[in-house]
Amino acid sequence: MKKSGFVVLLMVLLVGLCGAADAAAKDILIVADQYDATTMDPIAHNDVPSSRVCYELYDTLVFLDNEGNVSPGLAESWEFLSGTEYKFNLRKGVKFHNGEEMKAADVRYSMMRATTDAGAKIATYSQNVKDVEVVDDYTVIVHLKKIDYSFFSSLAHSWGSVINEKATEAAGDSYGMNPVGTGPFKLVSWQKGNKYILERFEDYWGPKPKYKTLEVRSVPEPTSRTIALETGDADIAFPIVHNDLKRIEENENLVLFRRPQNSTAYIGFNVTKKPFDDVNVRQAIYAALDIVGIQAASYRGVGKVPGTLIPSAVKYSINDEIPPHVQDVEKAKKMLADAGVKDLKLEIWTNERKERVDSATIVQAQLDEIGIKSEIKVLEWGAYLNGLMEKKHDLFILGWVSTVPDPNFAVSGLLETTAIGASNYTFTSDPKLDEMLDKGRSLPDGDERAAIYKEMQLYINAQLPMIYLHNDESIAGTQKNVKGFAPRSNEIHSFRGVYFE
Amino acid sequence: MSDSVAVPVNTGRKKRGGLAEVLFRLRKSPLAMFGLIFIVFLAFIAIFADGLAPYPYQKQNLMHSYETPSQQFLLGTDEFGRDILSRLIYGARISLQVGFIAVGIALVIGGMLGATAGYYGGWIDNGIMRVMDVLLSVPQTLLAIAIAASLGPGLFNLMIAVGISAVPRYARIVRGSVLSIREMEFIEAARAVGSSDLRIILKHIIPNSMAPIIVQSTLGVASAILNAAGLSFIGLGIQPPYPEWGAMLSGGRQYIRDYPHLTLYPGLAIMLTILSLNFLGDGLRDALDPKLKR
Amino acid sequence: MILYIVRRILFLIPVLIGVAFCVFTLLYLTPGDPARMVLGEMATESAIQEFRRKEGMDKPFLIQFGNYIYKAVTKGDIGSSYITKRPVMNEIMATFPSTLKLAAFAIVIAVIIGLPCGILSAIKQYSIFDTLTMIFAMIGLSMPVFWLGLLLILLFSVYLRWLPPSGFDTFKAMILPSLALSAQSISMITRMTRSSMLEVVRADYIRTARAKGQKESVIIWVHALHNALIPIVTLCGLQFGQLLAGAILTESIFAVPGVGRLMVESIKMRDYPVVQGGVLFVAVAFSLVNLLVDLLYAYIDPRIKAQYR
Repeated sequence: MKKSGFVVLLMVLLVGLCGAADAAAKDILIVADQYDATTMDPIAHNDVPSSRVCYELYDTLVFLDNEGNVSPGLAESWEFLSGTEYKFNLRKGVKFHNGEEMKAADVRYSMMRATTDAGAKIATYSQNVKDVEVVDDYTVIVHLKKIDYSFFSSLAHSWGSVINEKATEAAGDSYGMNPVGTGPFKLVSWQKGNKYILERFEDYWGPKPKYKTLEVRSVPEPTSRTIALETGDADIAFPIVHNDLKRIEENENLVLFRRPQNSTAYIGFNVTKKPFDDVNVRQAIYAALDIVGIQAASYRGVGKVPGTLIPSAVKYSINDEIPPHVQDVEKAKKMLADAGVKDLKLEIWTNERKERVDSATIVQAQLDEIGIKSEIKVLEWGAYLNGLMEKKHDLFILGWVSTVPDPNFAVSGLLETTAIGASNYTFTSDPKLDEMLDKGRSLPDGDERAAIYKEMQLYINAQLPMIYLHNDESIAGTQKNVKGFAPRSNEIHSFRGVYFE
Repeated sequence: MSDSVAVPVNTGRKKRGGLAEVLFRLRKSPLAMFGLIFIVFLAFIAIFADGLAPYPYQKQNLMHSYETPSQQFLLGTDEFGRDILSRLIYGARISLQVGFIAVGIALVIGGMLGATAGYYGGWIDNGIMRVMDVLLSVPQTLLAIAIAASLGPGLFNLMIAVGISAVPRYARIVRGSVLSIREMEFIEAARAVGSSDLRIILKHIIPNSMAPIIVQSTLGVASAILNAAGLSFIGLGIQPPYPEWGAMLSGGRQYIRDYPHLTLYPGLAIMLTILSLNFLGDGLRDALDPKLKR
Repeated sequence: MILYIVRRILFLIPVLIGVAFCVFTLLYLTPGDPARMVLGEMATESAIQEFRRKEGMDKPFLIQFGNYIYKAVTKGDIGSSYITKRPVMNEIMATFPSTLKLAAFAIVIAVIIGLPCGILSAIKQYSIFDTLTMIFAMIGLSMPVFWLGLLLILLFSVYLRWLPPSGFDTFKAMILPSLALSAQSISMITRMTRSSMLEVVRADYIRTARAKGQKESVIIWVHALHNALIPIVTLCGLQFGQLLAGAILTESIFAVPGVGRLMVESIKMRDYPVVQGGVLFVAVAFSLVNLLVDLLYAYIDPRIKAQYR
């Protein structure tokens, strides 16, 4: 207690000195994001803008850096008691925004709440939690239902945020608009669809932000975001679209950041529908497509064509080891004929995202060359998901982000049998793949685990339930005087450490 | 998009002017003539699009994307290297189709409802018009969006959404003109010689209430095209690769700084079409209704 | 008069129930399961069933509708957003001020520009000014607001750097959206002012005034304008109602956090209570503005007032 008090004192002094050195320092950081958060309840969403605000409002037991290294968060240290029991020693003296101290009961409350229906959106992470045992005020043991080595790093995802029991219960259904966390910022005001304003939490246990106010505006039009940056109306803006990259790069007042993202956009097949249940038909369609050209034309120099389903920055990925796909129209025609498919007509579904519609438009033109007539359906999100659930689709374009950088999460949500009825829209149900996934989760990191995931990636490529289209990049622009910012590969960009120079 | 392009129409029409008479009066207004010529021209383009367009509308040429106007591509190319001129030409077909069919839907349904209400009066009138009042109290754009969302995207659904959302307007106008004609002497006369209701409505009432309906329909086509473009702009309209003007505009807006020609030409096409229809509608109003002539 | 107002307001009730029914039916037919949209792709079947039960979605259509109306009438409760869990009324009230500001700004701009242009056009009928004004008015009327918006952004934000293209917080940021939204109203007010001025100028009492030797400016600005005002005021009111409701596209281009954008977003997210409540709200606002216009009409023109008795 004494020690940490001293550290805090030192920090306050340091911050104070910095402040004194530059009295006129800018005290507000203005960020132009694409969309507004949907909720500030850490378990009631699984979208990136909401995760971003939760990252500033809350802390998790452990933190994960850009390289996937784990560092202490609200837990000072931890211990793996067994494959299903993790013991955490909590940091003392951590204050919630409402003044209460964070204790083991809060950790238990937060995590158990995530396993209820309130946490349906993040069930993929929380479903394995059996119980959280409170040993004393500063010690908890998390019990899992079964061994899963991908679980630990998922704790750094916003679902693992520790919330305050009293505040949450008091707010009831409206908690999503009245968040109480332990993070470096607390909520001041939120005008939905427009912007939210956060303010530095003066009792924060860790390094306090160097500026007082964080304002995040939602600016859906890409052109408007870039203009906001150019006119100085925003300090940081993202995502930046391809046709604005040069503009920012060449502007001497601005800095452009690019970082490969842990995401995969893909063209999926409904493998339960004829003739797409035949792997040869899928391979024929793949052969007909100039994926490299499609990616280049739709994304214009941003990102790359994936080689496997596991993005490069995630461990055990062999994404970059696969040779690029070469279009072969003759082979495609032959394979299609061999499979006995004639006069194929199909629909390509996509949501409104421009690059995906663009890709679909080119896919349509290229399929036409091997005699496949296709129709594009651009559906808005609700109708899209519903249509997919009802298995009415043929080909569809979707994306998947591995928010937690473990290879398990890159594959299981998309292709495991248990994910049917959730996010497995190809309706792939392959016992061999399921077995490999199970095994991958049950192994601790090491060569054996690496081998499984390598085999898995090649196996998926051969089965081809989906054609990989694009590994995206996180691209952000900032003013030159903004320091300490770097986009993250899961797009949960952080503004805690930003300062002005 | 405020959709009331129409200015209140005078419904009292006394004398019947032949088509020649109307054209003669129309000729005196250069703006109306401009509108008429442009619309005829557009219809011509729409009908003969296959022969007129230099390229198929969906023909991609990724090597030639974002080209500015040149001899090869008169209005330049879009992000897929598709010829913008060809797409505009085919777009004329789609826009006119949407405009006329949507108004057709609105006119047939609205007209029947309005005529029935106006002719019979009493509780039938009350019933129909109260339902119309309900629909009128929801702004047309919002109504169209709701209908489009529930039908799903596509050309046909777009026509229905735009058409249905305009029904109450036509019902109201037709009812108004039928009411004013119903009490006239020649209707009394027809009734006296034992004409059936249907015959009276078809033979006497509808022809005599044509003037305001024609004017309203001309302006209505304009507003339908505008509405459809608006729906496509927010993504509830026509599917790619079909070149609807509103969708073209929406697709090009991200490139407005680098390649303004992607948005300039479709925008211009929409504006000129609406402008022409409005000029024509105005001119027709003046020509059909001598009282308002300036 | 009061009886008339009461009657009009009472008449709103069946209209609103009708609107609610129409929207309810439309949403019922719309593809896209709200439960799955709200709970996410990974939601379990039991969570979805629980959601359906809680929101009464497992009941037959008419019972759902009956419950909605019952709650709305007895408790003034029009439900809570599926997504934020806040009462729908709060959601709407959080966005309505922006729309109101936008519409008010636009109508003010429209009157400031449209009225004088219309009057001058009428005075100088057939002059070059008149012709040009009328052509411009027609162009304004024909301009798709989403294109005009883009052009304004291109000119004022990209090239001139005078005004921001988004963010509805400052006065400066409100100029472009209001301008884009007002184009149609400017045109309509100009045209209406011109035509009603022309009609009045020909009237007998103006001739009498002229014969009495009154100054021309007094005739125009006092006698003629006063009487020409009635249809103009009506139009302004109707336009204001339209703007309140019709700002959807403008709001989406300039990222104005208004009711229109809330509606479109809610339709996309399948947040049905918000769509339902929003349409009702817009219908009420629209009808009330129209009622006010009618009353104003009566106030300006005593002849009409007599009819209301």
